[in-house]
Amino acid sequence: MTISPWFEVVCNVCLAAMFASAAMCLYRIVIGPNAADRAIAFDLLSIAFIGIICLLCVVWGTSWYFDAVWILTLVGFIGSAAIARYLEKGKVF
Amino acid sequence: MQIVLEIIAAIALLAGSFLVVVSAIGLIRLPDVFCRMHAAGKAGTLGITFMLLGTMVIFIETDRSVFFRGCLAVFFQFLTTPGATHLLARAAYIRDYPLSDRTAVDELKTFLPSMPDEIIGGQD
Repeated sequence: MTISPWFEVVCNVCLAAMFASAAMCLYRIVIGPNAADRAIAFDLLSIAFIGIICLLCVVWGTSWYFDAVWILTLVGFIGSAAIARYLEKGKVF
Repeated sequence: MQIVLEIIAAIALLAGSFLVVVSAIGLIRLPDVFCRMHAAGKAGTLGITFMLLGTMVIFIETDRSVFFRGCLAVFFQFLTTPGATHLLARAAYIRDYPLSDRTAVDELKTFLPSMPDEIIGGQD
């Protein structure tokens, strides 16, 4: 389906906001004082990527890429849980 | 009909992206790791829920399967993100990461003693 021109402007504004928040997460990953800060910033970075995928699906008018959303959710959880277990126990498995 | 759907979706997408930006600003500015977990775990989850709702509203006439996939994504998001944040908070407290200067009381100290010396690997 085709979307209205004003709605495309709204989607571009939201895309700019999501890219700005992804840049802030990358800044926290670079300067983070310890490992838990970096893990939390990676969690929010995966959330920003999910939002970018949703907005690009809306702008391009296709739903082919929408499966990446819930797959990326589960992969992000596995990464955060593995980092937390490594910090707590000293090993992953 | 399409204009109504687009207005609803625009409100949801703007609210969601605003919440994610607020969460990222909190990730930059808050003082210690537990405050940053507070910012990223709550506002980020609500923001991405709003954005998924907006996408589902846009596709509800043309492609009906997006609705079910979006419901699945919202369910997984609410299931995983608070759990991951809780695991990371417990691990960070056990590893004795420093609290902020403005922390008034630390009630968890009597129940969960920090033990950074007993861990074999796990250097950050």
